[in-house]
Amino acid sequence: MTYIGHGGKEIVERVLEPEKAAEAIKGLTPVPIRGQIAREIIDIAYGFFTPLEGFMTRADVEGVCNEMKLANGILWPIPIVFDISTEEINEKGIKEGDKLLLTYQDKPMAILEVEEIFTYDKQEMALKVYGTTEDKHPGVARTYSYKDKFIGGKITLVNPPKINPPFDEFFFTPKQMRQKFAEKGWQRIVAHQTRNVPHTGHEWLMKGAWLSAHGELPVEKTVTGVLVNAIIGEKRKGDYIDEAIVLCHDVLRKAGYFREDVHMTSITLWDMRYAGPKEAVFHAILRSNLGLTHHMFGRDHAGVGTYYDPYDAHRIFDQIPEDALNIKPVRVLAWWYCPVCGEVTYSGLCGHKEQSQNFSGTLIRSIIQDGVKPPRLIFRPEVFDLIMECAEKYGFGSAFVTDKYLKERNPVFTLRDMKY
Amino acid sequence: MSITINIWINEERYAKLQKAGLADMAEEVLAGLKVIKVPCTEEQKDKVLKVFPTAKYDSATTKSIELLPREVKDKIFDLVVEKQSIDIMDEFLKNY
Repeated sequence: MTYIGHGGKEIVERVLEPEKAAEAIKGLTPVPIRGQIAREIIDIAYGFFTPLEGFMTRADVEGVCNEMKLANGILWPIPIVFDISTEEINEKGIKEGDKLLLTYQDKPMAILEVEEIFTYDKQEMALKVYGTTEDKHPGVARTYSYKDKFIGGKITLVNPPKINPPFDEFFFTPKQMRQKFAEKGWQRIVAHQTRNVPHTGHEWLMKGAWLSAHGELPVEKTVTGVLVNAIIGEKRKGDYIDEAIVLCHDVLRKAGYFREDVHMTSITLWDMRYAGPKEAVFHAILRSNLGLTHHMFGRDHAGVGTYYDPYDAHRIFDQIPEDALNIKPVRVLAWWYCPVCGEVTYSGLCGHKEQSQNFSGTLIRSIIQDGVKPPRLIFRPEVFDLIMECAEKYGFGSAFVTDKYLKERNPVFTLRDMKY
Repeated sequence: MSITINIWINEERYAKLQKAGLADMAEEVLAGLKVIKVPCTEEQKDKVLKVFPTAKYDSATTKSIELLPREVKDKIFDLVVEKQSIDIMDEFLKNY
């Protein structure tokens, strides 16, 4: 099986075997890292971010900001950077050519080869990537929170993460994911990006996208699948808890709303940047590395507030040459509930706009918060019951992120003890 | 579009409304789901957000205050039933 990822580059796993790892980290300067960087190391090391094999150098960041391309000319919309303070560089005597031992939660995680130490104007980075310098934008705020210097260089994972339940059965590296698709006999796979517990509006988005992706293929055998790819990263108060998102998507299949052979749930570790259209391109790249052929984009994909037009994330694909991206966007409008039709229907087909009732994630959250079971046409009872179960089992009584959840939740992954 | 707090009506709340002769107060949205929309002024909204820090105002789509704790919603609902009116936010906020 060949593993060719984004930009036509081979998917490379930069992971050392335990014995070699123990030897390789001896004597290296330890540098503690935060959760975002740890998640990105996993993504880089397993090839989720192919062709990246490490954190970006200045030339890459410049290319990404100015032309949405890496220094080698491959399409890439969002900087993936390793930030560090001047104080830490001086204190630890870090210089180009060094190898650093990155530690997470006091355990060795990866080796970073210091190819380049550089600075970059964070305001310019924010403006070019997000189209604004307002720190109300969460991606801009994240950029401003970066320390004053960056290190570019390759990453090698020395301590592979143990993905903890219930996430372990949903985590697949790009190579594993492609093997799964081969086992299922799927020729076309359409991605549904999510950070939400699904209501029937989401369910129909997926079903509509499946129909679009399947197109002219024969119907006697299942050769097209829907992959739910939940983004698991930094949480904010009020978000759905991660466990509810993943398990509730999976229950749609278990409860028969999708056939066993057409639907699969998975996770990717990533801290959302809310970069709207740029993030849509990033998601497309990520899923193409996972082996998907199509990516569904709905209204206001990865947007926040009113920074982007609801369909900017569709239109950006008009500017991208076909050969720059090995995945096809499936552009969809919203599904709504129509009391005249008496069903959830596609807004691009239904002629009862005046009477239509839009799904709103916020409204649905508000309903769940009140402990009210919505009608099954709107929210599947199995999903509702599972949300309540997840709230008790994982959310300290809440389906939404609270301070307690942020402090005491079970980590998505842990690292094993390792001497250094 | 005025600012509201959506009180979603489950069976228990609907029974209370019926008992008080207020069943018509609930509007139907999303395939028959019942809701009472309690109006808020800009000042009342600001106070609600200050008093209940978990609450969020959705300015982009619904223009409603969301993520209020359920017990707070229960109190607002009980006041609606007691006063037989949805204009109760001044009264409700007096206690905070």
